Amino acid sequence: MNAERSNTSSSSPVLWIIAAFALLILGGLIIAEATPLVLPPQASAEGQQVDNLFKIMLAIGGAIFLLVQGGLVFSAIRFRARQGDRSDGVAMHGNPTLELVWTAIPAVIVLFLTIISFQVWVSITSAKDNEMVVRATGARFNWSFSYEVPEHDLTVNSSVLHTYVNQPIRMEMQSPDVNHSFYIPAMRIKQDLLPGRVTEVRFTPTVAGEYPVYCAELCGSGHGDMRARIVVHPDEATFLAWFDDEVDVLLNPPEDPVARGFQVLSSGAYPCAGCHTLDELGWTGVTGPNQNGVADRVVNTRVGATGQPPEEYLLRSLYHPGEYLVPGFGNLMPQFQPDDSGAPNYMPVDDAVAIVAYLCTQSASGENVCDLENLQNLASQYN
Amino acid sequence: MASITAPLGGEARAIPAPSPRIADYLRWSVDHKIIGVQYMATSLFFFVIGGALAMLIRLELLTPALDVAASGTQYNAIMTMHGTVMIFLWIIPMMAGFGNYLVPLMLGAKDMAFPWLNAFAFWLIPPAGVLLLAGWLIGPAEAGWTSYPTLSTNFSPDGQTLWAMSLHLLGISSILGAINFIVTIRNMRPEGMGYWQMPLFVWAVLATAIIQVLATPFLTGGLTLLILDRVAGTSFFDPSNGGDVLLWQNVFWFYSHPAVYIMILPGFGMASEVLAVHSRKSVFGYRAIALSSMAIALVGFTVWAHHMFTSLQPELRIPFMITSMIIAVPTGIKIFSWLGTLWGGKIRFTAAMLFSLGFLSMFVIGGIGGVMLASVPVNIHVHDTYFVVSHFHFVLYGGSVFLIFSGLYHWFPKITGRRLDEGLGKLHFWVTYFSFFFTFFPQHIAGLQGMPRRIAVYDPTYTNINRLISFAAFVLGIATFILLYNIVRSLLVGERVGANPWRGLTMEWATTSPPPAYNFVGDPIPFEDPYGYGTEEAQAYLDALDRRFPPPAPQSAAAPLPEPAGD
Repeated sequence: MNAERSNTSSSSPVLWIIAAFALLILGGLIIAEATPLVLPPQASAEGQQVDNLFKIMLAIGGAIFLLVQGGLVFSAIRFRARQGDRSDGVAMHGNPTLELVWTAIPAVIVLFLTIISFQVWVSITSAKDNEMVVRATGARFNWSFSYEVPEHDLTVNSSVLHTYVNQPIRMEMQSPDVNHSFYIPAMRIKQDLLPGRVTEVRFTPTVAGEYPVYCAELCGSGHGDMRARIVVHPDEATFLAWFDDEVDVLLNPPEDPVARGFQVLSSGAYPCAGCHTLDELGWTGVTGPNQNGVADRVVNTRVGATGQPPEEYLLRSLYHPGEYLVPGFGNLMPQFQPDDSGAPNYMPVDDAVAIVAYLCTQSASGENVCDLENLQNLASQYN
Repeated sequence: MASITAPLGGEARAIPAPSPRIADYLRWSVDHKIIGVQYMATSLFFFVIGGALAMLIRLELLTPALDVAASGTQYNAIMTMHGTVMIFLWIIPMMAGFGNYLVPLMLGAKDMAFPWLNAFAFWLIPPAGVLLLAGWLIGPAEAGWTSYPTLSTNFSPDGQTLWAMSLHLLGISSILGAINFIVTIRNMRPEGMGYWQMPLFVWAVLATAIIQVLATPFLTGGLTLLILDRVAGTSFFDPSNGGDVLLWQNVFWFYSHPAVYIMILPGFGMASEVLAVHSRKSVFGYRAIALSSMAIALVGFTVWAHHMFTSLQPELRIPFMITSMIIAVPTGIKIFSWLGTLWGGKIRFTAAMLFSLGFLSMFVIGGIGGVMLASVPVNIHVHDTYFVVSHFHFVLYGGSVFLIFSGLYHWFPKITGRRLDEGLGKLHFWVTYFSFFFTFFPQHIAGLQGMPRRIAVYDPTYTNINRLISFAAFVLGIATFILLYNIVRSLLVGERVGANPWRGLTMEWATTSPPPAYNFVGDPIPFEDPYGYGTEEAQAYLDALDRRFPPPAPQSAAAPLPEPAGD
C-alpha cells in the first residue's frame, strides 16, 4: 500500500514493500531482545517456556506496533494539508484485495500464537513423576504451607515454602475465607484459591535462591501485605536438613509452654502474621493490634477494666476475638474452634495455651506476667 | 460545477438558532439534544470525581508503605469507587450522551423513537450516583469494581449493598437507552438511507445497543443474587452453605466483558467520523468497519472467561483463549481501515483529529497487550498484575477517553454554536498524549516484574517505577483542567460557527448550530454517500448547505478550515 502511491519511476513497488516489511521484522526482533529486561529473575522450568513464548509475542507485537506507528507518522507527513490547500483527498473507498490481506494475515498470526500457547500450556500443566505435594492455605492475610509426614502421622507447618532444585511440586491450596491467588513471579505461576474448593498448581524450580510469594487476588485490607517467601534449596540434602529439624521438633515438643508457643507461632500454622506485628517473630501485619509489649498493656489497662487476670483475658480474646475488640480495629480475626478438629479454623486447646503462655512473656522486662497454672485450669473448660 | 444540483430537502425557511438557558438542562425534558447534554455534563462531573480518586491512588503509591490512606480498607474503597465511577458514571453515560445527541441528527430525525423513555433513562443516573457515593457514609464497598464474593458478601461493609443497588439502576438505564437506540435506528432512518448508507457512528451505536440489551440483564441478575446474599441470608455465592464463588465470576464477566465493547464501540464510531471529515477523505472499507463492529459485538459474548484464567477449571481455559485471540482480527481490520482512511487524504491537524490520531497510536498498544493476555501461559504470569491495569487503561483511556475528547472537539460547535479553542485543544492533546503514555506504559513493566494490582503497599523493589507513574499521572490529571477551562471559556467567548464548520457530509451538519427544536425544518435529504469526499457532488452539496445556512460573517483568519474549493 505504501509503495502503491509513493513509488517513483525508478523503483518498483514490490521492492518498497519487501524493504518495509524487512525493516518491521528487524524492528520486532530488536524489541524482543528487551524480554529479559522487563521480566523478573526466572527460576523454573515453566518460566523458561513462558518467557520464550512472551519473547515471540513481543517480536510480533513489536513489528505490528512499528507498522501502525510508522503508517501514522508517514501519513501525517505525506498527507498533511499544505498551507492554503482547501481541496479534498482522493475519492477512494476501499480495496477488497488489501482488506482481505489485512484480515487474513492477523488471522494467521493469532492462529499461530494460539497453537504455540496451547503447546506451552499442555507442557507446563502436565503431571510430573515424583511430585512433592505441598498444601497451602491462604487466609486473610497470611500464607502457610504444610507437608505431610505419613511415617509419623505428622504435619510440618511453615510460613516459608521450602523446596529444592529440580524437584517438581504440586500445590494443593485452600482458603477458609475469601478468594486469594498464589503467585510466585520468579516461577511464572499463579492460581486462585477459592473457598469451598481445592485448587492445584504445578511447577519445578530450577535455580536455588529465595523469591517472593504474593497474593494476587484482592482479599481485603491487608491484601498488599499478604506476602511470603519461597526458599529453593540447592539440593535434596539441604532441604532434608531443614525438614528433619522440623519433624524432630514436632516429635519432641518442648515441655515449657512458652517455648512451645514460640514454636507454634513461628511455624505459621495459624495466620497471625498476616495482621499482627511482633518483632521477635518477624511479623509485620498492620490490620490487627500490634503484639509487641502486649503482656504489659494487658496488665496495665485491661486487667483493671475487665476484672480478668491477664491469662484469662488473653485466652478468651484468642477464642472470642469479637468480644475483645481493641478500639480502632474491626472484627476481622478468624473465630478459632477449640473442639471441632474438622473445622477450617481448628485450634486445639494445647496450642492456645502455648500461644497465650508465649504472649505473656511479651513484656518490657521479658518476664512472664501470667499464672500458668491458672491458665491450664481455664483451658480445661474448653476441653 | 454549477451544473451539479444538490438536493437538500426540507424548507429553506430560516429559523433563528435557539439559545438554550441553563435552567432548561436542570429539569425534565424529552428533547434528545437536552438529554444528550444532560448525560455529558453529568458524566464530566463524575469524570472529575473519578479522576480525583485516581490521584489519591497514585499519591498512596508514591511510596511502598501505607501513608495516604488511613487503612488498607480505605485504599480499597478509593480504588473500588474509582473503577465503578469511571466505568458506570463516566464512559458509559458519556457515550450514551453522544449517542442521544447525534443519532437522531445523523438520521435526519426530529427526536428519538421514545422521547419520554429517553428522559427516564437519563434521570435514573443522578440517583444512582448519589447511592454509590452515599456508600462512604455507611462504610464504603471495598471489593473492587468486580466485587468478587466472598469478599463482597461476607466481609465488605454496607456500602457494598448500595453499590449493588446503584449498579442496578444504571443497568436499567442502560437497557432502556439501548432499546430506544435500536428502535430509533430501525424505524427512523430517512428516505434514501438504507443500513449501508448510515454513518458509521450510527452503526457503532446500533452494535453497542444490541450488546447492552443482551448482556446487561446478566449483570442485573447477578447483582440481585449478590444483594440477596448480603441482606436476605441466601448463599448463592457462599460455599460454606452450598454456593459457588465462581458463579458470580461467570455471570459478572458475561456482562462485563461485553461491557468493554459497550465502552469502546461508540468511540470507534466517532473515530470513523472524525478521521474521515478531518482528512477530507472517505473512510476506507465502509462495510468492513460496519461489519467488524457487529463481529466484535458477537464474538465479544464468547470471551468472558479470559478474565478467569487463574480461577477457571484448567481444561476450560483453552476454548476461551481461542475466542479471545479471534476477536483481535475484527479489531485489527478497524485499525488498518482507519490507516487506509488517512492514506491519500488532506489531513487537517485539528484538536479533534489529533485525539483520533492519538487514539490510533495508543490503542494499538492496548490491542497488542490484549493478544498477549489472551495467551493462557503468558496470562498466568501477568494476571491480576499491573500489566492488566496498563492494558485496560490503554483500551479505555487511550481508546474510549481519547475518542470522547476527540468527539467533544468535533461536535462541540454543533451542540453550542461555538468552537472550542483550537490552541488550548492542541495543548490539551500534547500534554495528555505524553503524560498518558508515561502513566500507563511503565505499568506494563511493573506488572511483568510481578507487582500485583489493587495493593496499597508494595515490595520496595517497585518504588522507582511507581514514582515515575505517579508523577506522570499528576500531569495527566492537571491536563484535564485544560479541557474543562476550554469548555467554560468557549461557552462564553468561543468563536461562533455556522451549521457546518468542518464541512462534514453527515446530516447533523445540515442544520443550524445548535439545531432548532425538532432539529430540521421539513424533511432533509441525506447526501447519497456520508463519506463521499473528493467528488464534485460532495462539493456542490456542501456549497448548497453553506448557502442555506450561511456561516457567521467574520471568520477568524486563523481557523484551520477549508473555504469552499473553487471560489
